[in-house]
Amino acid sequence: MLTIKNLRISHAGKSGKPLFSGLSLAVDPGEVVTITGVSGSGKSTLLNWMIGDLDPSFKATGELWLNDVRCDTLPIEARHMGLLFQDDLLFPHLSVGQNMAFALPARICGAKVRRQRVEQTLSSMGLADFHDRDPATLSGGQRARVSLMRTLLAEPQALLLDEPFSKLDAVLRTQFRAFVFEQIERQGIPTLLVTHDPADVPQGGRVIDISDWQHSHV
Amino acid sequence: MAQTLRLTLERPLPRPAQSWTWTPRLWLAVLPVLLIFGPLLPGLYWALAPAFDAEVWQALWWDAQWPQALRATMISSVLSTVLACAIAALLATLHYPGRLWTRLQRRLPLLLSVPHAAFAVGMFFLIAPSGWMARATAQFLQWTSPPDWVTVQDPYGLSLTLALAIKESWFLLWVLAAVLGEQAVSRQMVMGRSLGYSRTQTWALILWPQLLPRLVWPVMAVFAYGLSVVDMAVILGPSTPPTLAVLIWHWLTDPDPMFQARGSAASLVLLAVLLVCAAGARGLGWLWIRRRPYPSGQRTPASNWRWFKLHSLLFATGYAVVAVLLLWSVAQGWFFPALLPDAVSLASWQQADWTPFWTTLWLALAACLLCLPAVLLWLEWGPKRLNALLYLPLIVPALPLVAGQYAVLLQTQLDGTAVALVWSHLLWVLPYMVLTLIGPYRAFDARLMTSARALGNSPWRACLSVKWPMLLRPILATLAVGFAVSVAQYLPTLFAGGGRFVTVTTEAVALSAGGNRRVLAVQALLQIALPLAAFGLAAAAGHWLGRHRTGLR
Repeated sequence: MLTIKNLRISHAGKSGKPLFSGLSLAVDPGEVVTITGVSGSGKSTLLNWMIGDLDPSFKATGELWLNDVRCDTLPIEARHMGLLFQDDLLFPHLSVGQNMAFALPARICGAKVRRQRVEQTLSSMGLADFHDRDPATLSGGQRARVSLMRTLLAEPQALLLDEPFSKLDAVLRTQFRAFVFEQIERQGIPTLLVTHDPADVPQGGRVIDISDWQHSHV
Repeated sequence: MAQTLRLTLERPLPRPAQSWTWTPRLWLAVLPVLLIFGPLLPGLYWALAPAFDAEVWQALWWDAQWPQALRATMISSVLSTVLACAIAALLATLHYPGRLWTRLQRRLPLLLSVPHAAFAVGMFFLIAPSGWMARATAQFLQWTSPPDWVTVQDPYGLSLTLALAIKESWFLLWVLAAVLGEQAVSRQMVMGRSLGYSRTQTWALILWPQLLPRLVWPVMAVFAYGLSVVDMAVILGPSTPPTLAVLIWHWLTDPDPMFQARGSAASLVLLAVLLVCAAGARGLGWLWIRRRPYPSGQRTPASNWRWFKLHSLLFATGYAVVAVLLLWSVAQGWFFPALLPDAVSLASWQQADWTPFWTTLWLALAACLLCLPAVLLWLEWGPKRLNALLYLPLIVPALPLVAGQYAVLLQTQLDGTAVALVWSHLLWVLPYMVLTLIGPYRAFDARLMTSARALGNSPWRACLSVKWPMLLRPILATLAVGFAVSVAQYLPTLFAGGGRFVTVTTEAVALSAGGNRRVLAVQALLQIALPLAAFGLAAAAGHWLGRHRTGLR
C-alpha cells in the first residue's frame, strides 16, 4: 500500500506560497489512482517529491509510506519506486537487452542466466531477437514497452507514471495503455498515474483532481 | 520480406545530400574566416619547411637542453591534464546532483575569468619558498627565513603542473556543468537511482560512459594548452633548461637560421606528442568500452564521501591568488615570515605604468568587435560542416600556428604593425566566440525567423530586426569572452607585435623575472580586472537593455 499523509508543498522563498496542502491519499496494491490537474498545478512537483527528487526551490512537509516503511526520508535508490516518464530514457550507450539487464536484480546470478532471463522477457512482449539492438533504432512504441518492462524488472513496490502516454500517437497510445495496465494488474502493485488527458484513466479507476487540495485560489 | 521492410522503415532515412550554391551571403560568411585562416597555409609551410632536413633533427637530438625540456613538458602537460580531469570528475561524481553543485556552478565564471598569466603570478606568490604558504607554516615552526626548498620553477615542472591542473579543472567543471544542465542527462540520474543504484554507481555505469565521448574535445584543448603554454611556464616552470614550449620560443626568435630550423622541428615534435597521446587515450577508451561486462545488477550501498572538501580547497586557491596579489600591490615592506604587509601604501598603483593597460584595452576591443560580425555571418550562412575546422586552433598547440602567422607577416612586411597584431589575435578569439554563441544560436526557435520572413522581411532584415536583437544577451556574453581571450594572449602579441606592443600579459610575464613584486602584482591585477570588467559590463548591459522584456533570456 502506498500512502501519503498530510502533504504540503510550498515555495521555499520568503513568500512560502503553498502549491497544495493537506494532501492525504492511499493507493491499494494493484490499484491505479489518477491525478489530474491543469498544467502548472503542481502534478509533476508532487511526483518529484514522491520520487525523492524535489527541486530545492520547494519545501515539503508530510509523510510518504510504502508497505509500512516511511520513504520520504530515504534517498531515491532506497525507495523501491519504479518510474515511467513520457520520454523513455533508455540508456543510449547500452543495447536494448543490456538496458533491461541493468534493472534485473543481482539475485539472478551469472551473465548467461541473466541474458537468458532478459531474452525471455523480450520475447514475451513480442520483441524476440531485439537483445543486441541499439535502442535508437526502435520505434516509439517499442521503446515505450522496453522502458516499462525495464522499470518492472527491477521489482518495484510501487509505480509512478508521469504522463507516460503523451508522446505517442493515437493508435500506439491505446495499445501501450492497455499493455501498461495489463502489466500493473499482473504485478499487483500500487500505481499513481499523473496525466492531463481523461482518456488515460483506466476503467473504473479512481480520479483525483489536484485542485481539491488547493484552497488558496481566489 | 516483411522483416527487411520493417528494418528499413525503422532505420533513420538518409538525408538528401546538401549542395552548396555559392550565394553572395555564403561568400560574405566565408570571407572573414578565410582572411583569418587562409594566410596560415603558406605561413605554416614557410615556418615549418626548414624542419624538413635530417641535419636539423640530428642537431635537435644532440641538443643538450632538449631531453630535460621534453621531460618537463611531458610531465607538466600529461600530469596536469590527468589531474584536472580527476578533480573535475571527482567533484561532479561527489556533488551532482545537489545544492553544492549548484553553488559551485555559480562561482565558476568568476574563477574562469582570471587569466592564466595572472593566476601563475598569484600561485608563485602563494607557493614560493617565501610565499604565503611558507609564511603560514613559519608561524607554527618558528622559521625566521624562507626554507631552502625548490617549490617553484622546479626542474620537473611540478609547480607548473599544479597551477595548470587547478586552472584547467575549473574549465572542465564549467564544460561539465553545461552538459549536466541538460534535462536528458539529469533525468537519467533519477532513472538510474530509481532502479536501485547509488549516485556513485549511476555515475560510473550510466553517466560517465555517455559523457566521456562528449568531453574528448575539451580535454584535448586542455592538453594542447598545457603542451604549448609559454607564459605560465616562464613564471612557474623550470628555467635552465625550460619546458619545451619555452625552448621552442627561444629558438624560433633566435637570429640564427639554424636555431630557427631547430625550433620548427621541435614544434613538429609538440604536434606529434599531441597526436600520439590523443591516439593512446582513444585506444584506452576503446579497450574500456570493449571490456565492459554484462550488467550484473549488483547494487552497492551509497558510500558517503561528501565530507571530502575538495571544492573548498579549489575555490580557496582561487580567492587566495587574488588576495595575495592585492596585498602585494599595496604592500610597502613585507618581510618573511609576516603574514601581512608591515605597512600599506598606494604608491605602486600611483606609479604604475598604464601603457600596457591601454594597449590591451584597444587591442582586445578591436579583436572582439571585428570578430562579432564574422561570427554572426558564419553562424547564419556559413557552411555548418566546417565548424570543426574553426575549432582547430583550440586543440592544436599554439606554437606552430604562431610561427606560421609570423612567417606570413614577415613575408608581407607587416610584422610589428597594429593591424598585424589585431589579426594575429583573431585566430583564437574567433573560435572561442563561435563556441560561446553556437549553443544559444542553435537553440533559437526557427519558427520566429519563419514568421519574420512570412511577414515580408528579407533574410537580412529578419536577422537584423528579429534574430540578432533577440540574441542580445548571448551576443554580449560572446563579446566578453572574445575580449577575455584577447587579453590573455601572450605568444601572438610577442611575435606579431614584433616587441613593439606591450600588453598587461606580456608585461606581467616580463616583470616576473625581475624582483619587484609590487609592480608585478599591479600588472597581474590589471590583467584580471580587464576581463572581469568585460563580463560585468556584458551582464549589466544585457540586463539593462532587456529590462522591459521578461521573455529576453
